Amino acid sequence: MEQKVLVVDQEKCTGCRQCELVCSVYHTGASNPSRSRVRVVKWEQEGLYLPMTCNHCEQAYCVEVCPTKACHREPEKDNRVIIDKNLCIGCRTCIIACPFGQPFFDHKERVTVKCDYCDGDPQCVAFCNVRAISYVDADESNRLKRREFANKIADLLKQARG
Amino acid sequence: METEGAHPVRRGKVARPQQEWNWIIAVYLYLAGMGAGSFIIGMLIHWTGVAFNPLPVPSIEFLGVRFDLAKIPIFWGPVMVSIGAPFLILDLGIKWRFFYACLNPRASWVARGFIILSIFIVFGLALFVKSLFSFKWLYPESGLWLIPEGIAFVFAFATALYTGILLKATKSVPLWNTPLLPLLFLASALSTGSMSIILSTLATGLISYDAGAMKMLTAGEQIFILTEGIILYLFFSRRYKASEQGKDSVRLLVTGKLRFVFWQGIILLGFVFPIVLEWISKHYQNPALLFIAGISLLTGGFFLRLGILQAGIKDQIPMQRLMEMQHELIQNSKSEYRNPKQIRISKI
Repeated sequence: MEQKVLVVDQEKCTGCRQCELVCSVYHTGASNPSRSRVRVVKWEQEGLYLPMTCNHCEQAYCVEVCPTKACHREPEKDNRVIIDKNLCIGCRTCIIACPFGQPFFDHKERVTVKCDYCDGDPQCVAFCNVRAISYVDADESNRLKRREFANKIADLLKQARG
Repeated sequence: METEGAHPVRRGKVARPQQEWNWIIAVYLYLAGMGAGSFIIGMLIHWTGVAFNPLPVPSIEFLGVRFDLAKIPIFWGPVMVSIGAPFLILDLGIKWRFFYACLNPRASWVARGFIILSIFIVFGLALFVKSLFSFKWLYPESGLWLIPEGIAFVFAFATALYTGILLKATKSVPLWNTPLLPLLFLASALSTGSMSIILSTLATGLISYDAGAMKMLTAGEQIFILTEGIILYLFFSRRYKASEQGKDSVRLLVTGKLRFVFWQGIILLGFVFPIVLEWISKHYQNPALLFIAGISLLTGGFFLRLGILQAGIKDQIPMQRLMEMQHELIQNSKSEYRNPKQIRISKI
């Protein structure tokens, strides 16, 4: 099976936070962005918005530090990293270990929660009006990322040279 | 005319230390460290027999059972650790699931810590109870007791080190990610542990202030404080140079929001007061001052854990740095590489 990943294009994001709402409704039944698995980071003055979600890292610190194996990888389902709610004790070690500030502590359920690709049909992708988030094959995302990174380096070099 | 820069909060340049682990974890780190440290020192005293040889053994009769009080002060470490461990459980999201925490000892230090603490508490408490009741059928003088004593001694070391390793193992906080942190916590455990023994033996009158054993204990105590001070200096100087966020953490403690915890709590209560007061107490033969020094040192030990815990700032990811550079979100930086505008000026 082809492995798929979430790709974010921050140039397209308008900061409407629709993704946060649908994520929260899908996972918790509540229309409460503070319980969402995706968060839009905003630099209002710069007009810069970046939806941040779990990267399902190859070497995931959250999986390493979890004392109960609640946070584990599922190779058969897009190699995703998920947290088993029935095993999680809410120690929040994964939140401190993640460099991307990702797993979130759900104060209602008293456990840590994170993106699980909505079991193959990510709601943030389905409801994003401007297509800032997409769910694509991993190979495809690498090609896009390479091009994006090369563009950024080129921009920086231009700036540096004046 | 230059426009005024945006508020530092909006620019993302305000240090944001972690909020997940708070004072509850600091209390646990402190009690576990102090308990393990006092057990290590107590065990050394017990084995070498320096302090307790010819003393009249105080004991009380209660419900027909004789309680032997002689060794309470040197064996009360496990009691401290067992008071501290529930604080870990108190911090959990779902408390009754705490026993799940040992399921992943192959990778997780939290799980290993659960096992280390459990073994230490079981063996330590068994020895504590054995020292309390001198039952004949337990053969208290038997050489076989050396085995549980040895196990408990090793796990006491492991407990003292583990308090630091727990923080180090999270990796993404540069202030904690150093082998010096477990060493610092071990040194602090030994200094607070030996001080707790000094205080309790003084308070119960087991060792008089003028006894040679007390002089030895206080001398050892001062060596521990000095060692801890040297490690603390090395720790902060290394962390300051380690990374941007390590520097932010040290700044937060030394000159930032947490400066009161650092200067008043860690330095004044933890180092200056104990050293000065102990010296004066020795000079004027005043045991009351030693008490104040001890309480001050024990409070300082708590602030050391609290400060280091609250100053933990996460490492920045490369992507974030790239975004900041591209959109010139960082200003007032000394590094020329952090602001493309400065590079341009220097080229001209």
